[in-house]
Amino acid sequence: MRRKPHIIVRAIVILVVLFVAIMINLPFIWMLVTSFKTEDAAFAIPPSFLPTIFDLRNFVKAFQLIPLSQYVVNTLFVALSVTFLQLVFNSLAAFGLARLRFRGSNVIFMILIGTLMVPPEVTMVPLYVIVKQFGFINKYEALIIPFMSSAFGIFLLRQFFMGIPRELEEAAIIDGASRMKIFFTIILPLSKPALYTMALYTFLAHWNEYMWPLIVINDAKKQMIQVGISQFVSGWETQWTLRMAASTTAVLPIIVFFFFVQRQFVEGISISGLKE
Amino acid sequence: MRRRTREVFTGWLTVTPALVVQVIFIYLPLIWAFYVSLHSWNMIRPMRWVGFDNYIRMFETPDFWNSLWVTTLYIAGTVIPSVVIGLFLAMLLNIEWLKGKGVFRTLFYIPVITSMAAAAVVWGWLYEPNFGLVNYFLSWFGVTNIKWLSDPNYALLALIIVGVWKRVGYNMVLFLAGLQTIPRTYYEAAEIDGATPWDKFKNITLPLLSPTTLFVVIMQFIASFRVFVSVSVMTRGGPAKSTQVITYYLYENAFRYLKFGYASAIAVFMFALMVVLTLVQFRISKKRVHYS
Repeated sequence: MRRKPHIIVRAIVILVVLFVAIMINLPFIWMLVTSFKTEDAAFAIPPSFLPTIFDLRNFVKAFQLIPLSQYVVNTLFVALSVTFLQLVFNSLAAFGLARLRFRGSNVIFMILIGTLMVPPEVTMVPLYVIVKQFGFINKYEALIIPFMSSAFGIFLLRQFFMGIPRELEEAAIIDGASRMKIFFTIILPLSKPALYTMALYTFLAHWNEYMWPLIVINDAKKQMIQVGISQFVSGWETQWTLRMAASTTAVLPIIVFFFFVQRQFVEGISISGLKE
Repeated sequence: MRRRTREVFTGWLTVTPALVVQVIFIYLPLIWAFYVSLHSWNMIRPMRWVGFDNYIRMFETPDFWNSLWVTTLYIAGTVIPSVVIGLFLAMLLNIEWLKGKGVFRTLFYIPVITSMAAAAVVWGWLYEPNFGLVNYFLSWFGVTNIKWLSDPNYALLALIIVGVWKRVGYNMVLFLAGLQTIPRTYYEAAEIDGATPWDKFKNITLPLLSPTTLFVVIMQFIASFRVFVSVSVMTRGGPAKSTQVITYYLYENAFRYLKFGYASAIAVFMFALMVVLTLVQFRISKKRVHYS
């Protein structure tokens, strides 16, 4: 057991850690405080870190000015749909790649994982054209169908599936269970942590998505929340109290949610080292 | 034998859905980007074959070089601070006796999980020249009235600060994972030899962490190269194109000027750079595996 350093050293370290924690989160603290201020108080010099109003006035106004509740519903629908579909598509592919032997599986693995090298910016022009051909412009299909499967999800699940001992399926094979039955009754129930992690990542990525909805959705009523809160509508540019209320709506639920599920996230990236 | 055939059949059945999605929505667009880049096309009139004209024009257009230069500056400005600060935070949270590490790790990680779009709106308010918090803090040091987002000398710096802020938590977690692979006994042995904290950092931590560091640098490089959202929300490439990074240049050419052929040439160019970066990264992560 090592000796603890002197109390002054410890105090300094703890103060530094606290200071960093506050500074990193200062933008969000400021966002939250501003969303509970009157317009005048927001423009006061010197600025105050105390809220001046104690009701949801700014939120109500923001929800009236832009269709914020509509954005929340739209984005929830899209993000949950993508998450559900990715759970199905990715776990199936990961099972085949991790557990079944068939010719070409290595090549398929390379093809599926190779898409990690293709950033969305590179394919956005032709993808827009393809999505337009399908008639998906201004429809949620444009935000869901191209993202039903992901290299990251397949990779994560495959790694996990490979770690499940073979002996567990042998008894089932002797009993004559089919491969798909093994998938549903043995592999999936044992892989809940990995499925959970993948689902969290996917949901978060699509809740936060900005670029693609900016391109394929033009109808304000169908817009996703991130584009909705960052686009200007008349007179909205300088109404910082309302804009902060809108940003809080997009950000705060995610931060609160994150506190409950942070272990899956942080462990997920240290395992895979792949995803933002 | 029958069982074998069934396994092959099931195997193909499981991978086909994902394969179809990725081929149609990633590989097909990728190949098509090459094809479109050899044409002049605005989606209204039919495509016209122009050979390599788009590429030639790209290399002759000052705006393209400007976007490359701005992207280079952005990368140069973000990579070093976000890696250094990320390492610093990881070392702080790797201190043995520190309590509440989990909570602090979560707090440091918050910017990573929040959306860049919402964060950019918030930073727009922080950078507000007259009433923003940033200029208020700077006024304590006698610096006044910086027009962060509307002054071409400061706009890119403003975006770099946001980029670093958004990403340090991610780098921290990667470094924490790397730090935890270094055996405590190395440090204990060094202490017996009378090593100072700086000696230990320089002679144990840094060398043993170097595979992680390389990995973090490359990941950060790729992320910085792809910067788009903060530009789109906060500056829209301006003022005076001082923040027109390559992704935003591509976006404007495609969806504002409808120069799909030209935009595709930029996309192909970006892809070539990405492939090189990713290959370097694969090399390094392989080394990383052998190392540990």
